[in-house]
Amino acid sequence: MKSSQRRAYNSFFYIILLPALILILFLTAYPIISVTYDSFFKYDFITQARTFLGFQNYVKIAGEELFQRSFINTFIFTMVASVLEVFFGVLLAFLLHRQFFGKRVASLIIVFPMIISTMVISAVWQIFYHYEIGLFNFLLQKVGMKPIGWLIDQKIALFSIIIIDIWQWTPFAFLIIQAGMLSIPSDIFEAAQIDGARGTQIALKITLPILASQIMLVLMLRTIDTFRLFDKVYALTGGGPANSTQTLSMFIYREGFAFFNFGRASAASVLTLFVVAFLALFYVRSLLKEDN
Amino acid sequence: MKKISLALAVALLLVPALLFSGGAKESGVTTLTIAGRDGAFGQAMQLAIDEYTKTHPHVRFELLELSGAELAEQTVIELRGAKGAFDVLLIDDPFLTRLQEADWLVDLDALYKKNNLSIDPDLIENMVNIGRYPYPNGTLYALPHVGNVALFAYRKDVAQKYGVSRFDTWDQVLEVAKKIKAQEPGMTPVLFRGMAGNPIVTGFLPIFWAFGADVLVDGKPAFNSPEALNALTYFLELAKYAPEGVTAYAATQVSDALLAGTGAMAIEVWPGWIGNLENPELSSVVGKVTIAAHPGQVKQSSSMIGAWMIGIPKNSQHIDEAFDFIQHVLSKEMQTEMADKTGNPPTRHSVHQLPNLVAKYPWYPAQLDGQKTGSIRPRTNYWAEIEAVFGDYLQRALVGNISAKDALNEIQKRVVEIVNQ
Repeated sequence: MKSSQRRAYNSFFYIILLPALILILFLTAYPIISVTYDSFFKYDFITQARTFLGFQNYVKIAGEELFQRSFINTFIFTMVASVLEVFFGVLLAFLLHRQFFGKRVASLIIVFPMIISTMVISAVWQIFYHYEIGLFNFLLQKVGMKPIGWLIDQKIALFSIIIIDIWQWTPFAFLIIQAGMLSIPSDIFEAAQIDGARGTQIALKITLPILASQIMLVLMLRTIDTFRLFDKVYALTGGGPANSTQTLSMFIYREGFAFFNFGRASAASVLTLFVVAFLALFYVRSLLKEDN
Repeated sequence: MKKISLALAVALLLVPALLFSGGAKESGVTTLTIAGRDGAFGQAMQLAIDEYTKTHPHVRFELLELSGAELAEQTVIELRGAKGAFDVLLIDDPFLTRLQEADWLVDLDALYKKNNLSIDPDLIENMVNIGRYPYPNGTLYALPHVGNVALFAYRKDVAQKYGVSRFDTWDQVLEVAKKIKAQEPGMTPVLFRGMAGNPIVTGFLPIFWAFGADVLVDGKPAFNSPEALNALTYFLELAKYAPEGVTAYAATQVSDALLAGTGAMAIEVWPGWIGNLENPELSSVVGKVTIAAHPGQVKQSSSMIGAWMIGIPKNSQHIDEAFDFIQHVLSKEMQTEMADKTGNPPTRHSVHQLPNLVAKYPWYPAQLDGQKTGSIRPRTNYWAEIEAVFGDYLQRALVGNISAKDALNEIQKRVVEIVNQ
């Protein structure tokens, strides 16, 4: 292709892309710029009073115990929940890769938690976790154990919410991994079997390496999603007891929509955005490397 | 064929869209949009709407039933945008100051004057004054719709067993709680909302005030006073007789325990929670629970008012119609019906004295007294932030993460920062 033809060809694609690009810039770049701009001000959304503070919002928020607590909780939640969701997702995908009676029903049951509204899930689990009348403590007491303060013990509450997230979102990881597994040509497995490879060897040395990019993708999606944890905490503990389940999203919500301090809420949002972007970048780089 | 099917599908989608899209407005019809609350408050408002439309068929309503947090958010977003989407607003009384300061509400004094009306003296003056800015003598911006007052509840049969017929001091409450714990297995001596933020603060404030402490003294934070320390020390001692999971207790848990008869005393109940207390189908403690004003300690008891006020946004396109509707909502007839059918606490002297309502809600004398003499939370633009910090450290002290003294010092430090920001 001549260079003039190539230029015309490229220009055509740029022109076609332009409306979408403008829309994406408007919907993504504009809010980010606007929030970043607001983060440098003391900005009361009700009175609309703005005072320029420079980086003071960032310095102050970063030094606040509640923000630090929220950050640590969010980090723990993200790491534990997303890794375990992917782990169980892979496990389930392997278990259901074989043919057996009732496989279809089992798949449906596994996917079920993912399609229920989070608020409904929270209400149900709140009853399960209830200290006095909850199902779990009832069962524990039946076997002679002491009841556990699932949502009221500050050492346990965050992990109780992690359990719910794992229950709800493992199916998502399962679906993606399963789709990946189904796309592997069966002759690879057949060849391995002919060569005498055992089930575990096939799984560890053939299936998992092939699925690496899918696993990375689902890990990235779950990391980004779990980092924004809000609804379950809001419905189950309100951030308590003693801030043990406070998250960054809760912190931002409180500053923005309970106090209407949009400057501080914006600064906290920008800090969160940096962390999420860093995590996403890490995964994307790994994925791109694999592609290359 | 595909193209024909596609064209048909588009046509089928467009027909209803055209039929049901805005089109011409019905002439002579006014639509009032009410930004209101969910639950029983929403039912009460719907009742008022149903009655009003019987005599005003040209007025239609759109009632938004929102949670407290959603209502505050949507109110601010809408009023700040000044699009005139809301005509009637329900406002939690501590939030009122922010709206008044922003000058977003209609001057109701001027509307009364314009309509040759005056404020009905049957409306409890102390409650009406909550809607004034500056409080309590300024211009009227909102009227009292829900006469919520925090009250103290106790099982009179249990209290009498330990020689107490009424609680005059918080010390008595603690003494009885200790005895119940020792002698009444299966019964929780004390109930309160232990969730961080607003719940734990509203539960604690009557104790705080009774011990002589206050949130702001001459506009300055006063959390590190000896009175505040006494109050918190007492609260933490009393909390030893609360349920194990009290930090997760919200209104539902408190009212459920009371109705089931498993709770002996609740340091904070609101009329909306206890509407079924005397209903034998839902309550196992009919005739056994006394609802009274809070005990005192170094000071006389002071009930906490948590009214829901009703006002009109300045940018409403139907201010006169909204004002007329508000007069209907606050009328004696409507307040009586709302109280009877939905348990909505009235804000009129006369409705509190109706024999059938007093029989149904025996706490009406205490509620009326609370409305007449009760205290409101501080009128400050920073109340939401102060309450969050206060509630945060109260809960941390409750779970034993911090001592009472350190908690109060931290609250003082943080609230000074908030007020001086």
